[in-house]
Amino acid sequence: MTKGVVLFAQNNHTIDYVKQAIFCAKKIKKHLKLPVAIATDSIQWLQDNYPFYKKYIDYIIELEWKECKQKRTFHDGTMSNRNLEWRNHERGTVYDITPFDETLVMDTDFLVGNDIFLNVFKTNDDFLIYRHIKDVNSERTDEYRWNKISDRSIDMYWATVFYFKKTEKTKLFFDLVNHIKENWNYYRLVYQIPDITYRNDFSFSIAIHIMNGHQRTSWPSILPGNLWFTTDVDILVKLDDEKYTFLLDKKDWRGHYTLGSVENANIHIMNKFSLDRAISEVLTDE
Amino acid sequence: MNKGFCLLAQNNSTTNYVRQAYALALSLHRYNKDQKISLITNDTVPKEWQQPFDKIIPIPWTDSAENSDWKIENRWKIYHASPYEQTIVLEADMFITHDITHWWKELEKYDLFFTSNVRTYRDEVVTSRYYRKTFDANDLPNLYSALHYFKKGDKAKEFYTLLEIIVNNWELFYTKYAKEQYQKWCSIDLCAAIASKILDNKKEITNPDSFITFAHMKPHTQGWKSIPKKWTSVIGKYYRNDGNLILGNYLQTRILHYVEDDFLTDEIIEKMKNGN
Repeated sequence: MTKGVVLFAQNNHTIDYVKQAIFCAKKIKKHLKLPVAIATDSIQWLQDNYPFYKKYIDYIIELEWKECKQKRTFHDGTMSNRNLEWRNHERGTVYDITPFDETLVMDTDFLVGNDIFLNVFKTNDDFLIYRHIKDVNSERTDEYRWNKISDRSIDMYWATVFYFKKTEKTKLFFDLVNHIKENWNYYRLVYQIPDITYRNDFSFSIAIHIMNGHQRTSWPSILPGNLWFTTDVDILVKLDDEKYTFLLDKKDWRGHYTLGSVENANIHIMNKFSLDRAISEVLTDE
Repeated sequence: MNKGFCLLAQNNSTTNYVRQAYALALSLHRYNKDQKISLITNDTVPKEWQQPFDKIIPIPWTDSAENSDWKIENRWKIYHASPYEQTIVLEADMFITHDITHWWKELEKYDLFFTSNVRTYRDEVVTSRYYRKTFDANDLPNLYSALHYFKKGDKAKEFYTLLEIIVNNWELFYTKYAKEQYQKWCSIDLCAAIASKILDNKKEITNPDSFITFAHMKPHTQGWKSIPKKWTSVIGKYYRNDGNLILGNYLQTRILHYVEDDFLTDEIIEKMKNGN
C-alpha cells in the first residue's frame, strides 16, 4: 500500500499557496518522511519561482485553472484585511487524483510539528478527521462558534487535515462532497448556513452527516493529537524552527495583542500574510 | 402482569390535547406491536380518534383542574385510574419514533421510574438549567414526569399519595422545599421532585445514565446561542414516508416531547393514520 500526503495549492492574485505548500512539504519531510504530492493549477509558477521544490515535492498533479468568482475576507491581524479570491473547490477530487492508496490531505497553512500522524497508517479506519480544534488564544472562549456549522445545524468537522484509504465508502463520501459542492446553494439553505461562500469544512460536515444517516455515529474516527489553530486576526511574528510565536488578538481590545507561542505542535495558521512573511525568511536559505 | 401506556388529556382554550393523545397513540402503535394504551380524559373523543385506545377512562373523582389552564392538577390521579399493573405515563404532546417495547424489561426493575437526563433534537444531553433553576437552588431531584413508569404496589402508592397532597397544597410545599428561585405556578415536575426529596428515594426512582429518556423540545434546552420563541419556527421538520422523523436535519431516534402544538400538523396525523 502506498502512502503519502497531498497538498492543494491554488494561488490567487495575492496569496502564494504554492510557497506555503513547499514549506508545508518541508515540515512533512522532516517529521513524517512521507512522499508529498502537490495538486496545483500553478505549475509554471512553482517551477519558475521555487526551482528547489523537488527537495520536498515528489509528485505534481495538474489542476485545470478555473475562473473563481468566490471571494472572502482575509485578515492580517485585527487592523488590516483584504477581499480576495478563495479557490478551494478541488478538495473533493482528491480520491481520484491522489497517487497514493492511503492519503493524508492537508491545507498548505497547516504545519506538521511532530510525527503523530504516522499512527494513522496503523489503523483499520478508512477515514480520519478532526471534530474539534484547539485555539492557541485561550482568551478566545467561543468554542461554540467552532462546534457546529451554524447555531442550529450539524456538528462541524475540519477538512484542514484528514486521512483516507481508498474504499467503496470513501469513494462514496468524496462523490457526495462533490455533489454538495455542485449544489451548494441548496445544501447551504437546508443546513442553515448564512454565508454563501463554499467551504470544505461545511461540505465535509454535511457529507459525514448524510453518510451517517442524519445522526451521530462513531464514523469517522478522529485523527490523533490536537488540531491547534490561530485565526487570521492573530499574527505570526516569529518562526524559530519548531517554535511559533504569535501576537494573539486581545478580546474586546481591538488592535491589542497578547504574546503567545506553541512548540512541536501540528498547527493551522490562518493568517496567510504573516505566514507568508515568516516562510519567506526561512526559504531564503534554499 | 398486564402493562400499558396511560395518557392524560384535558383540552384547554388553546390546545386540543385529546388530538395530541390520539396522534401519540398512533405513533406508539406504528412502531410498537401489541401495546395497550388508555386515555384518561373528560373531554369528548371523536369516534375516529377512539380506535387506537383500549380504554377511554374518565378522570376519577371531580375535575381538580376545572379552573386551571395548564390542567396538571389531575396528574396524580393517573396512578389510581390506570387499568394496568405496570404503566408507562406519557404526556400527550409526545411522539414515538421507534420501537420501545424493550423498555418494559428495564423498567420492571423499578417500582417507580422518572427520566432525569433529557436530550436535545441533536441527541445531545441537555445541559441548560434555564428551566430548572428552582430544582438546583433547592437541591431537588431533576425529575421529568413527562415520561415515567410505575408498578402498582406500596412504594408507588406512597409516592402518588404524597404527590396528591403536594399538588393540592403546592404553595405550602414550595415555601418549605422550593423557596429559592420560587416558582409561582404548580408544576408536576417540581411537585414530583419534592415528593422524592421527602421520601428520600431519588436513587431508587431514577438513573441519569438510563437509556430511557426523550428529546425535550423547549427552546432553551437545545444548545442554541440565539433562542427563538418557538423551535418550530426555526428548524425544519420532515416526516418521511418511511416513517422517519427528521428535525433540523437530525433523524429522531428518541421519544419526542414536542411541546409546541404547531408541530402536530394534520399532514403528520394523516401520514401516521395511513401507515406512511
